Amino acid sequence: MRIVIAEDDALLREGLALLLRAEDLDVVATAGTPGEFLVAVDEHAPDVAIVDVRMPPTHTDEGIVAAVEARRRRPGLAVLVLSAYVEQAFATHLFSVGAVGLGYLLKERVGRVEEFLAALHRVADGGSVIDPEVVAQLLARNRRTDTALSELSPREREVLGLMAEGLGNSAIAERLFVTDGAVHKHIRSIFSKLQLPPDDRADRRVTAVLRYLDGDRR
Amino acid sequence: MAYARGRIRASVDALEYLVGGLGTATLALGALLWAAIVAVTCLIRVGLPAAPGALRAVRRVADRERSRLSRWGEAIPTPGPVPAGLRTAARDPFVRRELGWVALYSLIGLVTGLVGLAMPLYAVQDITFPLWYRLIPADFGAPGIVWWRIDGLSEALAVGLLGVGWLAAAIWFSPALARLQAWPGRWLLPPPPGVDLSLRVAELAATRAAALDAHAVELRRIERSLHDGTQNRLVAVNVLLGAARRALHRNPDRADEILGQAQDAAEQALGELRTVVRGILPPVLDDRGLAGALAGLAGSCVVPCRLEVDVAVRCAASVEATAYFVVAEALTNVVRHSGASRVDVAVRREHGRLLVSIEDDGHGAADETRGSGLTGIRRRVEAYDGRMTLTSPPGGPTRMDVELPCGS
Repeated sequence: MRIVIAEDDALLREGLALLLRAEDLDVVATAGTPGEFLVAVDEHAPDVAIVDVRMPPTHTDEGIVAAVEARRRRPGLAVLVLSAYVEQAFATHLFSVGAVGLGYLLKERVGRVEEFLAALHRVADGGSVIDPEVVAQLLARNRRTDTALSELSPREREVLGLMAEGLGNSAIAERLFVTDGAVHKHIRSIFSKLQLPPDDRADRRVTAVLRYLDGDRR
Repeated sequence: MAYARGRIRASVDALEYLVGGLGTATLALGALLWAAIVAVTCLIRVGLPAAPGALRAVRRVADRERSRLSRWGEAIPTPGPVPAGLRTAARDPFVRRELGWVALYSLIGLVTGLVGLAMPLYAVQDITFPLWYRLIPADFGAPGIVWWRIDGLSEALAVGLLGVGWLAAAIWFSPALARLQAWPGRWLLPPPPGVDLSLRVAELAATRAAALDAHAVELRRIERSLHDGTQNRLVAVNVLLGAARRALHRNPDRADEILGQAQDAAEQALGELRTVVRGILPPVLDDRGLAGALAGLAGSCVVPCRLEVDVAVRCAASVEATAYFVVAEALTNVVRHSGASRVDVAVRREHGRLLVSIEDDGHGAADETRGSGLTGIRRRVEAYDGRMTLTSPPGGPTRMDVELPCGS
């Protein structure tokens, strides 16, 4: 797995590189600015990019903009965005181009190395990862604005939340202490309530997750 | 002695005040005559078109008196233009009170002004009379008193004594006269109760908005330093601790090394936190002002530092704190990286901007991207809509110029 890190804080950048290299992951380049990051993406053809939201010059959403641009230049690129805090507008902007191979995590999760590595692999494999904190906030808000979402039962909302975190069926079953079959039933019910018919062109799980993030544009 | 000096100063102030009042009283008399003529001609309808103009003239004179009184005591807000249309204007509470004022003041203001001016003039004339009484015929009498025949020095001296009396009267009565002169304006020119509030509210809202703006800028700056500095350091500590825990089982030596890095990062976080806290408002600024605080910085700098501060008026606390921060960070950089043997710091205020320059004779090649304090300086300056330019060719010298808006 070839990784590029874009983080303007030198110490954190080196810390991340050290952590990943210690896990025998291939950090091919690190960048301190969005410009350097895009050059590194063009040059090193990475599989995954880890990108900080706040980058120079204005330290607002440069990281998100750069991540979206990098995905445009290199469509298969998986991107894991790290943020110091939950900013829903940024998350929505990020996921507006699709959720395949995309992740949005709070920076503090990196310290839980196993979970961080799992998230990294999930994103690299084309899955999506959304920080539990983001999911909780979106769920609380979208329940009020999205009538389809409001029809979900509490259990179904819980399942959808875990799907948004990027968990698979068996992981969700484990988390909720139910059988795989029960999770499968919940997910079918969610798809039907959100009116997502079986369709091989779109991943229904991803579409359901996106439904969360779509709240403000409806 | 001190009492006498205070009395004399008060009477000199009062004299200046009375003369100024004489000016507005003369204008008021003019406005009153004009208004009276217009009013009389209005009775035969000829004057009607001129009426709004007359009211505006009264308003202009009243505004002049308002600003004069505001300079001497509690501020009197101005009500703005006279409402258009004669009917609305006639109902305007300001217009009615101003018409009353112009009548009262053209009498009281004029009389008090003339008396106030005459007393010191008489005093000078009478006190100096013994020096020049010989130059005028004895039949002319004493100045202003024709029936008092002056036949010799003793009578002339008596007139001089009278002058001393005038002087005493001037010193004694001028302040009271000045108060009497101000009374019509103080009574009739402030906004009537109720109207007052809306004006005050508008004024306060404007100043408060400006204060809130400055406040928001300051909060944003603190938020940024906490987010981009301290928080990132702590995240790094967290990352390194995570890495160390992973390494613990596989490679304990490596774990120790990583823990060392984590400790360094934690120390840096503490250092940054200290900088943020001190940067909010360095206590020394409060105690000694910008020049004093900078002198302290220059004095404790290891590299010899020449300081020139030319700031006559104090700037906003947040601006001074930023200037102080800039100089402190820049001097730290000079000591750590430049290899300079001297550094010049100049701070001056020009056209509502505070200009700070720091120049050293070191080897130059300062690089903003290499995690130095330069990024912090730029961020903080830009948070205030300021500008920072850095020229540092390899081989030196390095010069930093910072411009901060600090109001007028």
